[in-house]
This record gives sequence, structure tokens and C-alpha cells, in this order.
Amino acid sequence: MKTSAYYKAKKVAVNVVIHAFLLSVALTCIFPLLWMIASSLKSQDVIFKDMSLLPKVYHFENYYRAWMEGGFGRYFINSIAYTVSVVVGIIIIASMAAYGFSRLQFPGKNIMFYMFMAAMMIPIPGSFVPLYVLLNKLHLRNTAPGYILCMINVGLSTSIFLLKTFFDKMPKELEDAARIDGCSKLGIWWHVALPLAKPVLAVVVVFNALNVWNEYVLALIIFDSRPLMPLQVALTTFQGEFVTNYPLLMAGLTITALPIIIVYLLMQKYIVKGVTQGAVVG
Amino acid sequence: MSWLFAKRFTVLLFLVICAFFLTVFLTGCQPSKKSDVNSISVWHWMTDRDAAFQELAKRYEAKTGVKVTFELYAPSDAYSQKVRAAAQGDNLPDIFGILGEKRDFSSFIKAGYILDLTPYMEESLGAWKNSFFAKALAVNEFIEGNSYGVKAGIYGAPIDIMTIQMLYNKKLFKELGLNPKKPPQTFAELLEMGQKIKQAKMQGLVSGWGEVWMVDCFASNYAFNIMGKDKVLATIKGEVAYTDPDWIKVLGLFKQMQESGVLANGLVTMINKTAEQLFANDKAVFAFNGSWCVNVYKGMNPDLDYAGMLPPKASEQNPMAIWGGAGSSFMVNGRSKNKEEAVKFLQWLTDRDQQAYLAEITNNLPANKNCLNKIPDILASFAKAMDNATHPNVWGVSEFSPVIEAFDKGIQSIIIGEKTPEQVAAEVQKIKERELAKKRSR
Repeated sequence: MKTSAYYKAKKVAVNVVIHAFLLSVALTCIFPLLWMIASSLKSQDVIFKDMSLLPKVYHFENYYRAWMEGGFGRYFINSIAYTVSVVVGIIIIASMAAYGFSRLQFPGKNIMFYMFMAAMMIPIPGSFVPLYVLLNKLHLRNTAPGYILCMINVGLSTSIFLLKTFFDKMPKELEDAARIDGCSKLGIWWHVALPLAKPVLAVVVVFNALNVWNEYVLALIIFDSRPLMPLQVALTTFQGEFVTNYPLLMAGLTITALPIIIVYLLMQKYIVKGVTQGAVVG
Repeated sequence: MSWLFAKRFTVLLFLVICAFFLTVFLTGCQPSKKSDVNSISVWHWMTDRDAAFQELAKRYEAKTGVKVTFELYAPSDAYSQKVRAAAQGDNLPDIFGILGEKRDFSSFIKAGYILDLTPYMEESLGAWKNSFFAKALAVNEFIEGNSYGVKAGIYGAPIDIMTIQMLYNKKLFKELGLNPKKPPQTFAELLEMGQKIKQAKMQGLVSGWGEVWMVDCFASNYAFNIMGKDKVLATIKGEVAYTDPDWIKVLGLFKQMQESGVLANGLVTMINKTAEQLFANDKAVFAFNGSWCVNVYKGMNPDLDYAGMLPPKASEQNPMAIWGGAGSSFMVNGRSKNKEEAVKFLQWLTDRDQQAYLAEITNNLPANKNCLNKIPDILASFAKAMDNATHPNVWGVSEFSPVIEAFDKGIQSIIIGEKTPEQVAAEVQKIKERELAKKRSR
């Protein structure tokens, strides 16, 4: 006969195992970040000798040096401008397109949608040279709008797919009620569809913001002028062909990671909701 | 009410989109910048040399009034993509570098993107040409009747060179009771030291042999030493078998090194960064590394006391050969309006004083052989080894990739005691014959 103490002990044991597992997963995720921060506070010669997470001497000046030597100020503004423009562009275009694909009937709708989906399969590096030639012909090479348009294009397929999946599941009765209240199609999109899609939009914002913030290769190919480059370019200042200035690189990485961590924290509530509601079906 | 809002919103959205596209249109329709005859643009990928290049650009402007703009695009693979894309759009700068194989280099030449520098090199009795290490220039040279179909000539100017050789830790030599001024000269002496290293429980030779090309490089040095260049090239051509006793002797050296204790633990899977870290922190007696290591070790441990040496000879019949040649090179855009100015700038950049400055600041070996007395001793010792340098790119023949792979992996198997040199030689020869048969059938 198993007593209640046995079941209690079993429950505690199971909880301990689950928590130990989750804790180890959390530590695995957080360890690289801690390592990055610890390394950013060491000096170049110490970084190869002292493997501890708590340096004996803290070199906070590495952050100042990274900011100044990498010229972070200008690049930071550029990256913010690119990220905001691209994310806003994607949200407007993708949500309208997704709503259209989900609710409107027009000839070639499915073909167009599958073409967008097919675009998801093309690796970005494969399109670098054609994109370069196209932008060159349009005189948009080495311009911020040229880069923004490319990045909007890069993020559209996935965003349309995510949003369409959500709109497909949205009850039609809500739209009927809005129509009775006198809403146009655009009004329904703005007043009904978009507010309900907040969790999915949060996912779209974070995914795309992360993508644009970390993008570098396309920018390097399109831009010739260094003042137009995004923040990631500053990090290469510390990374040579054979020699890398690890403390400054880690300080730079910490600086570049901060804004995206803030965005994630601000959107966390919606992202969890989006995931649990099945927004990220794909 | 909501209807009115939606209407206003639609108008606003329309205006925003119109404004955006108008901006794009106006920006896009700007006429493209015209090249200025008093300025030269240079594209490069060398992050660690950028500051020195910028300083030299200032000096050149002060001297000649010509503004030189160095634009850094790193990492190197992204740089290569940019250069390829720019060539498609005819937007290459006045001076740029090409990374990759000679085949890529030749395709740029044939498309007219690279200027033949031979007439400039030959001016004043070949003054510019003679200032370089001959082997550094060879990488940028296409000889008469080359297989790429390129007109014979010199198409690039080397900025620096590199050699790959052995290094030893003087401090650990002293701890082992060895004379730090007398590194091993023969392979037998090296094996003898291996015993001492083993007894002292130290780590012997470290290198990036996990990145197999470095094993290939080490083996190739000894192949040249044991059988000479002609026999190595004859093997590549398929005229000599890998089962030849000389090749078994080359493979056998790795077994001897492993047994004597010369090789560090875990060498087979070691990446070069780990090897550099171990050597820089006085944890390994020997290293096999490229000349770039001077800069790396300086960053990791400025107090490291070490010196360079050629791999100890296993035979007296042939000289020891090491891999070396041009590190980075610059080419002049054959379609540039400023090509004459660009050539003048390259001539100035590769002149003795500028080369010495670059070596001093970046710790890379200068391509100009006349400035060796102006650079640090350790760099000079690497540069002097250029006399022994060779490189697969200048052999004129190349081995099949599957053969190289089988050879390098075979060496790894010998080191871990999985296979004998004879077994590896037989396996490599089998693959060689298969590849030759494939080639013949084509």
C-alpha cells in the first residue's frame, strides 16, 4: 500500500528532476551571454589565461574604447533607422497582403501566395549579385532606401505566411459585425484584424528586427560608403584576418545585443501569447 | 465615426507611402558620382591593416596632393562577394584585391578588370620588379602558355608575404636543459628532444592539424626534403606512385614523431587558434605556424620568448622547403580612368619606407626585400626563410582533391596509430589511380 508520503516524495523528486533539467537548459542559454560580458571586461592577454567568469581586474574602459574605436555612434543611428523602417514597412505591407490573401477573392490569388512562399526557399546569398545589378540599374545602390527595400523584401514572405495563418483562423463574425457598423475593408483590417493580431505582430516585429539588426553581408555589398553601414560593421573593426581583439569585440557585441534584448523583453508577453495561440504555426 | 477615421487613415497611409517612394525615386535618380582624377579608391579586406593604410593614405596626400580612400570590407568572404558583384555592375574601385584561386584571378583579367603591370614593373631596368621577393611576385604572374589562357605578365603587386615554418619556445628549452640558441637541425635531433619533452611531461609540437591543410603543408615540406621537387611534381603528374619508398618514408616521419613524444596530445583534432593559445601561454615547446603568428602571439602574450626555425631536415640530399609566397596583393582596375595614378600609388606603397612602416605597425612580412634591416628580428627571420619557400600555386600542376584528402586523413590515422604508413600509401595510390582513370576517360 503506497502512502501519501510516498506520492508526495515522488512528486518532489519529479519536480526536482524537471527543475534541474530546466535550470541546466536556462544556464546553457545564458552562459554564452555571461561569457561575453565577462570577456568584455578582461584585457587581451588575460582573456587567454583567465577562464573565470569574474575577472580579477575589471576593464570597464573596454566599452568606451569599443564605442569610440568602432565608431558605434553613427552606425547605431543607421541600424535603428534601418530596423524601424524595415519593420514598419513589413508590418504594413505584410499585414495588408496577408489579410488580402486570407479574406479577399481575386484571380491568381493562390499562385501569388505560393510565389511568396517559394521566395522563402531562396537563400539570401544566392540573390546578392542579381540584387546588386538591379539596384545598380535603378540607381539605388549605395543608398539607404535601396537597402531598406531589399530588407523589406527579405522579410515579407515569412511575415505574410505567419499573418495569413492567423487571419485564416480569425472568426468571420467579427468582420460581419464591423461591416454592419459601417467599416470598409480597410477599416476592418485596421480596427479588427490588426488589434487581434497583436501577438503575431509581436512575433513578426521581433523576428524581423533581429534579422535586420544582425544583417551585415547585404549591407556590405550594397553600400560603398562607410557612413551608410549598419552597426554590425563596427564589430569587424576588432576582428582581423588572423588577430582578433576579443575584449573590444565582446564589449561591442554586448552593446549591439542590448537593444534587441530590450525589444524582446518589451514584447515578451505578446510573443509567449503568440506562440501559445499557435501564431508560429510554421 | 470609425468610418471617418478609416478614411482619414487611408489618406494618411497613402500619403506616407507616396512620400516614401518619392524619396526613393529622387534619391535613386541622382546621377552617379564621377571619378575624380585627384583621388584613388582602394577596396580591401585587411581589418588589422586598415589603420596603417589610412595613415599611409594621409602621407601620400600630403606628398602628392592625391587623395587615397581606403575602404575596408570584411570579412574576406563577404569582400569577395562584393568584388564579384561590383564587377558585374562595373563599379570596381581603382585598386582592389582578389581573394581565391588563380582561376578567379584569371577570369577578372580576361574580362579586362585587371591592368597588366608588366610594363611598369620593367621600367628603369626592372626597379619595381626587383624590389620584391621573386616568390612573392610569382603568385601574381602568368607565364607564357599558362593553362588559364591569360596573356603572360604580372597582374598584381604584393603588399606582404607569408611563410609557414616551425617555432620554438626559448623559455621551455631552458627548462628542458636545452640551448635556446640551438634549435634542432636534423630530424634525429628533433626526435631526441621528443624523449626529453615526454619525460618532462610537457607538450611538444602544436599546430592546426585539425584543419587538415596544415598537415599537408608539413608533409609537403618533408616530401621536398626527402625526394626533391621533381619527384614530388612527378608524383602529382602520376609518374611516381605514392607507394614509392620515399613517400612511405615521409609518412613514416609522423609515426616516429608520435612515438618519440614530439607531438602534443590532441594534435590531430587541434584547430590553429587552440595551438596558438597553447604556444603563446608557454604550454608547448614547438609550433608549426604561419608568419601571421607574430601578431597573434604579441596579442596573446607580449612576453613570449620564442624564435623561428626551419623544420629540421630528414635528409641531406635536398634542401628543406617551406610554404610561402605573397600574402596579400593589390590589383589596378584596367577600366579605371585613374589607372596611371593608381599604379604610381602602388609603386609608392610597396616602396621600402612604406613597407617597413606596414611591417612595424601590422607585424606582417614586407613584400619588399630591401627593408629587412628595418623590421623586427623575428619578422626578419621569417622573411629570410623566403629563400626556401614554395607554394602549390606556383608548381604548375595540382593534385586531385580526393587524393589530398586521403593523404591528409591518412597522416591523421598514422598519428593516432590506426594505420601504418604502408597502408596509407597504398590507399592514397588507389585513389590516385581512380582519379587518373576518371581524367583519362574524360
